[in-house]
Amino acid sequence: MGNCFKRSTTDDISLLRGSDSVREPSSDPVGPPSYQEALSVQSSPPIYHPSPSLTQSATQLSEEEQIRIAKRIGLIQHLPTGKYDGSKKIRECVICMGDFMVGDALRYLPCMHTYHMTCIDGWLMRRLTCPSCIEPVDAALLTSYETN
Amino acid sequence: MAVLPRRIIKETQRLMQEPVPGISAVPDDSNARYFHVIVTGPEDSPFEGGLFKLELFLPEDYPMSAPKVRFITKIYHPNIDRLGRICLDILKDKWSPALQIRTVLLSIQALLSAPNPDDPLANDVAELWKVNEIEAIRNAKEWTRRYAMDN
Repeated sequence: MGNCFKRSTTDDISLLRGSDSVREPSSDPVGPPSYQEALSVQSSPPIYHPSPSLTQSATQLSEEEQIRIAKRIGLIQHLPTGKYDGSKKIRECVICMGDFMVGDALRYLPCMHTYHMTCIDGWLMRRLTCPSCIEPVDAALLTSYETN
Repeated sequence: MAVLPRRIIKETQRLMQEPVPGISAVPDDSNARYFHVIVTGPEDSPFEGGLFKLELFLPEDYPMSAPKVRFITKIYHPNIDRLGRICLDILKDKWSPALQIRTVLLSIQALLSAPNPDDPLANDVAELWKVNEIEAIRNAKEWTRRYAMDN
């Protein structure tokens, strides 16, 4: 708990106003390459999420943020992927609540939780934790590097 | 309006089919992302006997970001301010897309049972809760009676 005072700007009182995201028209055709293309999260215009509640278009990002996003994409792509073969005990992706269908692209986190690749990649760009167990994905990755 | 994600449709169906005890959440007729919520005050809390109205909105990128929830009924609680905003970690930095409308509302109900004056949103309420809990609880009961009953 905590941090409630610091976050007051994102806590708009009018809930019906909808998304508090800052969306800019993609007037700049030479923005940095979008991670969505690689990860197939969303269609254009490029929108990034430096933190879960913050939405920015590519043109608003500082160089530092772009580097951070590039590193994040690299890390996510190190996580193993596979296709659902129907044999696993897990049947549902808790992010989209859709059943896994044979042939669906999956991503496996170090904590052994499994999600649709498109679903989990969208989350990991915002926060590097497993949605189900809140295990930090990067720490678990480093541990697995050290033990292997 | 854009197509409603399957997840929101599923969650809504499940909320209707298996409602959470003491909680009702009904989507608005004109906006399926906006829910009218009523939480009953938990037993053995100063809010017992009260019916508290809340509004819950699922933002465009839900479940990647948390639902926005606010008390509409006035409530005397150290973690809820006078605008009805709630200080609850899972609505902020501890949000996870594995959480759902159901779990959020259960957490809010639990917050009513266990006020936490050390992590305040309403400072004056929290202060009284710490220095004179008996009086704070008396105030909470009075507000419950005045604003959350017979409405």
